[in-house]
Amino acid sequence: MAAVVFSNVRKEFGSFTAVHGLDLNIEEGEFVSLLGPSGCGKTTTLRMLAGLEFPNSGEIRIGDRIVNDLAPGQRDIAMVFQSYALYPHMSVAQNIAYPLKKRGVPAAEREKSVAATASLLQLTELLDRKPRQLSGGQQQRVALGRALVRDPKVFLLDEPLSNLDAKLRGYMRVELVELHRRLGRTMVYVTHDQLEAMTMSDRIAVMDGGKLQQFAPPTDVYAEPANRFVASFIGTPAMTMIDGELTEDAGAWTFNAEGLSMTVGPLSGQAKSGPACLGVRPENVSVGEGPIGAVVQVVEKTGHENIVFMQLPGGHRLTARAPAMQSWQPGEQVKVVLDASHVHIFGSGPRGDRWNRPAQSAAPSSAKATPQIIASKNTKADPKAEKAAS
Amino acid sequence: MAFVKKLAFNLFAWGIVLAVAFPLFWMLVTSVKPAFELFRRPPTMLPETWTFEHYLHLIERTNFLTYFRNSVILSTTTTFVVVAIGTLGAYSLVRFRFRGRESLAFMVLFTYLLPSVVLIIPLYLLLVQIGLANNIFSLVIAYTTFALPYALWLLRSFMAGIPEDLESAALVDGASRMGAFVDVILPQLLPGIISTALFTFILSWNEYLYALVLVNSDDARPLTTGVMNMLVSSFNIEWSLLMAASVMMSVPLIIIFAFLQSYLTRGFGAGGVKG
Amino acid sequence: MTASRNAQEAVSHRRHLMARNTGTLLERRYAMLGVMLIAPTVVVFCAVIVYPLLSAIYLSFFSIFTPTLQGDFVGLNNYAELLSTGTFWSSLGTTLIWTVGTLSLQILFGVGMALVLHQNMWFRSLARSLILFPYFISTVVAVLVWKWLFNDLYGIMNHFLISLGIISFPMDYLGTMPNAMISVILVGAWKYFPFVVIAVLARLQTIPDQLYEAAKIDGAGPIARFFDVTLPQLRDVLVVIILLRAIWDFKEFDLIFLLTGGGPLNDTQTLPLLVYQEAFALNDMGNASAYAVMMMLIMLVFMLVYIRRTRSEEET
Repeated sequence: MAAVVFSNVRKEFGSFTAVHGLDLNIEEGEFVSLLGPSGCGKTTTLRMLAGLEFPNSGEIRIGDRIVNDLAPGQRDIAMVFQSYALYPHMSVAQNIAYPLKKRGVPAAEREKSVAATASLLQLTELLDRKPRQLSGGQQQRVALGRALVRDPKVFLLDEPLSNLDAKLRGYMRVELVELHRRLGRTMVYVTHDQLEAMTMSDRIAVMDGGKLQQFAPPTDVYAEPANRFVASFIGTPAMTMIDGELTEDAGAWTFNAEGLSMTVGPLSGQAKSGPACLGVRPENVSVGEGPIGAVVQVVEKTGHENIVFMQLPGGHRLTARAPAMQSWQPGEQVKVVLDASHVHIFGSGPRGDRWNRPAQSAAPSSAKATPQIIASKNTKADPKAEKAAS
Repeated sequence: MAFVKKLAFNLFAWGIVLAVAFPLFWMLVTSVKPAFELFRRPPTMLPETWTFEHYLHLIERTNFLTYFRNSVILSTTTTFVVVAIGTLGAYSLVRFRFRGRESLAFMVLFTYLLPSVVLIIPLYLLLVQIGLANNIFSLVIAYTTFALPYALWLLRSFMAGIPEDLESAALVDGASRMGAFVDVILPQLLPGIISTALFTFILSWNEYLYALVLVNSDDARPLTTGVMNMLVSSFNIEWSLLMAASVMMSVPLIIIFAFLQSYLTRGFGAGGVKG
Repeated sequence: MTASRNAQEAVSHRRHLMARNTGTLLERRYAMLGVMLIAPTVVVFCAVIVYPLLSAIYLSFFSIFTPTLQGDFVGLNNYAELLSTGTFWSSLGTTLIWTVGTLSLQILFGVGMALVLHQNMWFRSLARSLILFPYFISTVVAVLVWKWLFNDLYGIMNHFLISLGIISFPMDYLGTMPNAMISVILVGAWKYFPFVVIAVLARLQTIPDQLYEAAKIDGAGPIARFFDVTLPQLRDVLVVIILLRAIWDFKEFDLIFLLTGGGPLNDTQTLPLLVYQEAFALNDMGNASAYAVMMMLIMLVFMLVYIRRTRSEEET
């Protein structure tokens, strides 16, 4: 039984369509990130799930209930807001107790739950303070505590870490994953930060323009992006994209662009000759020996590696990762080779589908028109297995 | 040198401030001078003899206390009615979506600027018709015409300043819309409500035209028309008495000024003078 | 129980999948609550504002004798008359003189005072309170005090002016022209300039210091800094203040009515006073309504400009 299901959910604001017929199946106990640039519909999706926005059509289920007509308070959810939304006139203890109070939990029991939650989040010392007397990180933990105290079916988190500084953000990422593992509850996490989505999620739902682009585990989203948008949105530095021409000769495919020509494949049945795009991640480009000539433009040194930005004779740009000890001067002529087994071919257009034949382990998706990849069984079983082990 | 410059500037600035405040100072001084001292040439800047006889006179031998009581009842009732209706209305205008919401907000702003003299004739006819003319309650109704749009406009702007997330959080935490309103929005709105209430109270306290037209019996007259009547009806004008009345009439304002001025300044910001 | 719930779910299920744009039950319930909350406001608005406004327009087509409230339909006669006789036009002229006069003084004095109060002066908050006070006191109080100051025999105004040698005889401030108009304009400026002070002061406090530092580095003196930095920053707020105060001054009744009663010889009779006089002294409510409607039409221009400005500001 799925914990959260969106069926053909559509949301319009006036003439603007924020979410186009979204279908999404979130398994019970899963940590799912809704990832995308701002305005992609991820927050609207989350707010519809919370009951704070109302879909124009379609159906939302939590557990076995259709929740479209239920008030937020009846949906058995808890939410952490980007702004934390702590009640300024209430103390920390009152903030955490509020959801219990609204559900008629007796005062004595309330106190016990608040104390337990507070000690879990190391807030015991702060219970009598007002929110404005707390640091950002402390406020964040109170917001989390207010969500945790009730033990809801589903946790909704709307960019909860984006107001923290980088160091605290890294720490909280680990905390949240740990919390998810311990509670085993479904969590839906909205973020525009791919690092958060990649490191925390069981599966990532990548959205753009109000449409779901791909819904798959992080490794799959990275290794087998469903289309050109996902490919360029995920990964830092970004995947190199080169527009060119794809030609077929007796089942063998060749990709041609100015300054670059290579055999690619195997490709799926969707592939056809004509305009296409070749994508390659920086770690699949090696500089030194190879058939392709390029000119180094900039070398960024991060300490443990060097990022090499190059230009091909036709003007296309190419990015490569190189070990820290290898370096080049700007303007230097170099030879480059692309790892043919990790080259991606996309149809033309900003959201062109990926035409590579899927790797052997993944479910067959070549016949599907929509760019969705059903999660393989073993990934979704993961959290439960871990929970059982702990 | 810097000090001289500073001193010169302060003398200049305070010169202006005192000149602006002089009429009010003169009001106070006149009210505590004995009658004979008023007509001294040249006038005395500070009273040579202090007396509170005019205040005593005002309370004992005029209708001042009745007027004062009427004004208190009138302004308090108007303020309560208007703030209660306005708070609910502002909540609806800011946080709910329904048809006609936009044009309603437009209407509020429009009536906020509408001149009283346009409404006063039909209002007079209406109140005469339903037999309400000449009592305090008719003035409460009339004062709503300017106080409600004003209060709504202020409260709307205060309401818009409360983060929407707070209400959303309360809803998710299990509150109903009205529950969230009581638990979360009202406490946040409180400074705005106080500020709006003060402004409404002052507006009602100072209103003259409606009181002039709608009430002509001493039992129901508020301070503004009552005190003015003392000027018009007296055979020879006792300025000290009138100044004492003016001072007494300003007492609520002085209290508000002394203790609640920050709320007044806040109301200014919300009252549509941003930019 | 379960059966009915299932049936219910089936119904709602079908509705969500098939119907579009009908809104969820929750959404409609919220909208209903919203309407209920605004209902008292709407009722009061209709009763005390919309109905009187419409009947004011309706009344303007009648000739009504105030004491008996009996009247005849006269169509557009009232309007034809008011446009052809001089009373309306001369009163409009008076209103414009009053509005322009007092408004420019309010702005000039208000901005100047705000600049002074923005500096570091001693006991600044006390000074601010004193400046603010005239705005909040009742017009009745202001008028009584000024009438006392203006008193021809014992008023301190005459005493000051004579001892300063500006005038040699006591002056009649309210009984002759142009003294009456000047006095009214001055008292109006005194009473309402604090509004400008507060609004401008609030804006001044938000001008970033870097702007002044940059101007200083560029060699701008205090006067150049005022015109190149302060004034452009104040432009938006000044437009709003001028619109708002123009509307309020245009419809000012209490101050003028109480100071001069429109006199001498109707020379300070602005439109609101004219409406009052027609209705309650000359006892012609139909005619008075026609004046009131005309006055509102003139004000409508300013009101629409102000409303448009406020709304566009809200959208950004």
